[in-house]
Amino acid sequence: MTDVLTRESRLNEDDFAPAQTSESVEQISRPSLSYWQDAWIRLKKNKRALISLYIIIGLALFTLAGPLLWRVDPALQDLNQISQSPSMPKQAIVVGPYQRWRGVTIEGFPAEPDEYLDTIPAPTGLHTYDDPTTQSVRLVWDPVTGAGGYNVYRNQRKPETINDLGLPLGGTLAGNEVSYEDRLNLERKTYYYSIVPTDGFDESSQYAILKVTPKLAITRDDALTRGLIDTADNVAFGDTINLEFHPFGTDYLGRDMLARLMQGARVSLFIGIVAPFLYVLFGIMYGGFAGYFGGNFDQLLMRFADFVVALPFLLFMILFKIAFGIGPGESGVFPMLIALVLLGWPATARLVRGQVLQIREQGYIQAARLLGATHHYLVIRHIIPNTMGVILVTLTFAVPSAIFTEAFLSFIGMGVAPPTPSWGSMCNEGVKTMLSHPHELFFPAFFISVTVLAFNLLGDGLTEALDSRLRSRD
Amino acid sequence: MSEHLLEVTNLGVQFATYGGEVKAVRGVDFYVDKGETLAIVGESGCGKSVTVQSLMGLIPMPPGKITSGSATLNGKEILGLPPKQANRFRGVEIGMIFQDPMTSLNPTMTIGDQISETLMVHRGFSYREAFTRSIELLERTRIPEASRRAKQYPFEFSGGMLQRAMIAQSLACNPAILIADEPTTALDVTIQAQILELMAELQRTEEMSIILITHDLAVVARMADRVAVMYAGQIVETGTVDEIFYESAHPYTVGLKEAMPSNRVSRDKALMPILGSPPDLFSPPKGCGYYARCPHAMKVCKHNLPPSFPISDTEHVARCWLQHEDAPKSDHITQAGR
Amino acid sequence: MLYYILKRLAAGVITVWFIATATFIAMHSVPGDPLMNDKAVSAEIRKNLERKYGLDRPVHEQYFLFLGNMLKGDFGISFTQQNRKVNDIIRDHFPVSATLGVLAILIASTGGVLWGALTAIYRNRLPDIIIMFLVILGISVPSFVFAALGQLLLVNINKLVGYSLIPVAGWGTIWHMLMPSLVLGLGTMALLTRLMRSSMLEVVNEDYIKTARAKGLSPTRIFFRHQLRNAILPVVTVLGPQIAAITTGGFVVELVFAIPGLGRYFVQAVQQLDYTVIMGTTVFYGAFLVFMVIVVDILYGFIDPRVRLQ
Repeated sequence: MTDVLTRESRLNEDDFAPAQTSESVEQISRPSLSYWQDAWIRLKKNKRALISLYIIIGLALFTLAGPLLWRVDPALQDLNQISQSPSMPKQAIVVGPYQRWRGVTIEGFPAEPDEYLDTIPAPTGLHTYDDPTTQSVRLVWDPVTGAGGYNVYRNQRKPETINDLGLPLGGTLAGNEVSYEDRLNLERKTYYYSIVPTDGFDESSQYAILKVTPKLAITRDDALTRGLIDTADNVAFGDTINLEFHPFGTDYLGRDMLARLMQGARVSLFIGIVAPFLYVLFGIMYGGFAGYFGGNFDQLLMRFADFVVALPFLLFMILFKIAFGIGPGESGVFPMLIALVLLGWPATARLVRGQVLQIREQGYIQAARLLGATHHYLVIRHIIPNTMGVILVTLTFAVPSAIFTEAFLSFIGMGVAPPTPSWGSMCNEGVKTMLSHPHELFFPAFFISVTVLAFNLLGDGLTEALDSRLRSRD
Repeated sequence: MSEHLLEVTNLGVQFATYGGEVKAVRGVDFYVDKGETLAIVGESGCGKSVTVQSLMGLIPMPPGKITSGSATLNGKEILGLPPKQANRFRGVEIGMIFQDPMTSLNPTMTIGDQISETLMVHRGFSYREAFTRSIELLERTRIPEASRRAKQYPFEFSGGMLQRAMIAQSLACNPAILIADEPTTALDVTIQAQILELMAELQRTEEMSIILITHDLAVVARMADRVAVMYAGQIVETGTVDEIFYESAHPYTVGLKEAMPSNRVSRDKALMPILGSPPDLFSPPKGCGYYARCPHAMKVCKHNLPPSFPISDTEHVARCWLQHEDAPKSDHITQAGR
Repeated sequence: MLYYILKRLAAGVITVWFIATATFIAMHSVPGDPLMNDKAVSAEIRKNLERKYGLDRPVHEQYFLFLGNMLKGDFGISFTQQNRKVNDIIRDHFPVSATLGVLAILIASTGGVLWGALTAIYRNRLPDIIIMFLVILGISVPSFVFAALGQLLLVNINKLVGYSLIPVAGWGTIWHMLMPSLVLGLGTMALLTRLMRSSMLEVVNEDYIKTARAKGLSPTRIFFRHQLRNAILPVVTVLGPQIAAITTGGFVVELVFAIPGLGRYFVQAVQQLDYTVIMGTTVFYGAFLVFMVIVVDILYGFIDPRVRLQ
């Protein structure tokens, strides 16, 4: 208060002269933007929606341009690399065709034990006969006194006790047969082989362990037929060559996951985008007619839409599949598309009808009518542009639900069936080997989730950008 | 200081928004005595609702923030209390009713239950006692068939009836002060009169004070003992109702008066709108808030905030440089100006 | 209220008729006839079978026969299991699906309301951000992935404790039901959480909440008595369609967890082209869902006086 008073005391006569105040208090401070320009600016501010948009563009590139860059046949089976986890490019040594190995039998050593010992000691000198490869692992050990045979076990971790030796492979039935050849599903992993001597019947409590890591091997003929080498001339046995590269691993039939994901994306995104596009289009026409003409016509149309909504969606998706004569196990992309369109349109129709009914009563429509606008003009110039926002949002949200439907049906074996890959049918195959090879489920599931997520977030962003009033409750 | 029932000094409230801080209330002082009606008048957005809502602790914080000032009720501070302490006076010593009765009552609870709730919480009544008392309260606000109405839901009431129920609810604990935030704005004109009459009658019988927030000078003339005129977050003029109407000392008060329709027949006197719009409260003007719209604006007004000048030896006060002793004297301040 | 219920029921009956008709049309537009797939059928047996299922009569007669049987609640006899009535199949397997579905919807709705309310209270703070992140995951990840992950989790839990603490698959005890119903409810829970959150945030700004604060009510009381109840209303409205989603979503869960429910039976029937079972189950499911939607509508009427009293 004192501050004001001191300043007040300094006031002079001039201060009380009339001041010129500006007349135009209000002025437009923002440039005028069209509805879509404004929406685009708002969408750009929404970071999540923008990232989602980039992801969707990325997915489109993955689907369309991907197969041009990654020229691998999604149906080609790479039997050397079945259920491979994602990894860097692998190399293999070239070996000759498999040749029988007669094993090692010690002459002069008794095949039957001379006497039965309480405990037979563990064999010593356990080693591999030659370089272990995925073609074969050949084990040799020194004979043990009192042994009438040997059992061979294989484990993928180091055994702690005798109960922990792992997979029983087989063995020999004589004390002087001291070799074993393992050719059972060998992969490029570390194995722990255990040799347990027996007296011919019972196992000893002593055993010997050997850690073996076989090298990936490929026969020269195989390499030739698969195009890994051009000629057999300059490739000797023991050379290393590069195998096919599977960045995302392979599935249970040795097919390249990346190539299959790309081909699967075509099916999933085709259904996921084309079906909603078609049924939204149909919904717009249906709802538009109902809303624009109103009255009994509207009542009749909407009653029918109500009935269609009441049909249990997934059950009828399956019924239509049968109705189209698609047997179980047959792939039905187009029937699924048609079924989705037949069952999906009512939601859009209701929405558009509501919008049209609302817009029809707006003042500017009345004004345009008074000015002599034709039906045609009203629909093209006023009604369609004003419903576009709602329609765009509906379309964006319809995509994830269609993708979900495809995945769901394919997963229970009622949609796209093998060998045609779709993300859903790949999940169906992947879930069977989920425990041992999780990547076969993970990748298709990941792609479904990311796609659905991106479309959902984009839809949220569009809703906010276009109009806060559009925020519907479902 | 504390001879007044409610005394507010130098209250300042601002809101944090994306555009910056909005200084909605900028140093407001007023008081209310027992049994009187204070009307706070001003156009939309001048900060009158924010003022009373901040007293009641109804400002959402954040974004709202009380930046300065104090408010004492019977000598005790009530500003910025935590909810538990605030609830000792909210609904007990100060009752409040709002602009739109249609949305101000819970749509899924019966009217009776909503009134009973207050009684059960503050008075420790049992549900049955509270409900009986609720019916009495509804009767007191002239709601016919109160016992049946108490069991009904808000959507079964008309707007006027709902405002009566709101009043009944706010009276439940016999408050010393009733804050009425534009109580008749959302109602039909005929209903308005009934509600105002009811409030005046209840004020007499209950001996309570009323703080009436309105932009309608007709309501002010009818109800108020004293008036505070608010503009751009400040009180620009206070005085008794007669002083404000017949000896208006601030050009804004005059502007409000001349913008008010009256039923007096006069040919030459058309309604005079106040041109322009209130200042931007993101960066309030340094000088008088009304400067840009004032027909009497002087050079001093632009950069110097006018202090409160006493107009008479009563409590009639105006924040306007025209009241300075050096200012040019004119007999009559009009909106049309010179 | 009574008039309202009757009206809804009448509309429901017509809807069920429409579903039955649609099912009939769909099944009779199948190229060839249902018996085509049976390989070694002699002409005579074929005749007998046709007579038994009424396939030798004109389509409109078949339709009325079908409707008549539906009205009597008789869904006929299974094609593939000649001695089993469709009614028996539904009676044996539906309770399992229903239990699973009820548990799932309970988990989903209580969870959705709880998490939704929590996020609204902690708006834009850590709990809100974490829960909303999980919600977005829950909406975007397909249910069968949850089912697979759930099973994987059980396997690992059992491995960790060293014995079969919670069964990984099958049906019978409450332990069997735990994971499948949780997995089944997850997607719906995410959806309801999102809905509840936005509804809560809308209610907070309502005038009557301001009134309640002006009345001097405690924040807890305002939350429970005023906010929660009004915020739940829009959540209840979507419960009907969500029950449908959960019931049919049960197919996947029943498949993954090897639960002997009607959904799994339906999938099996489709694979074997067991026409009577397919038709019977579809109409039954349709009628059930229509009924559930009506139940939810009536329930809504009890919560929202505005609907009840008009």
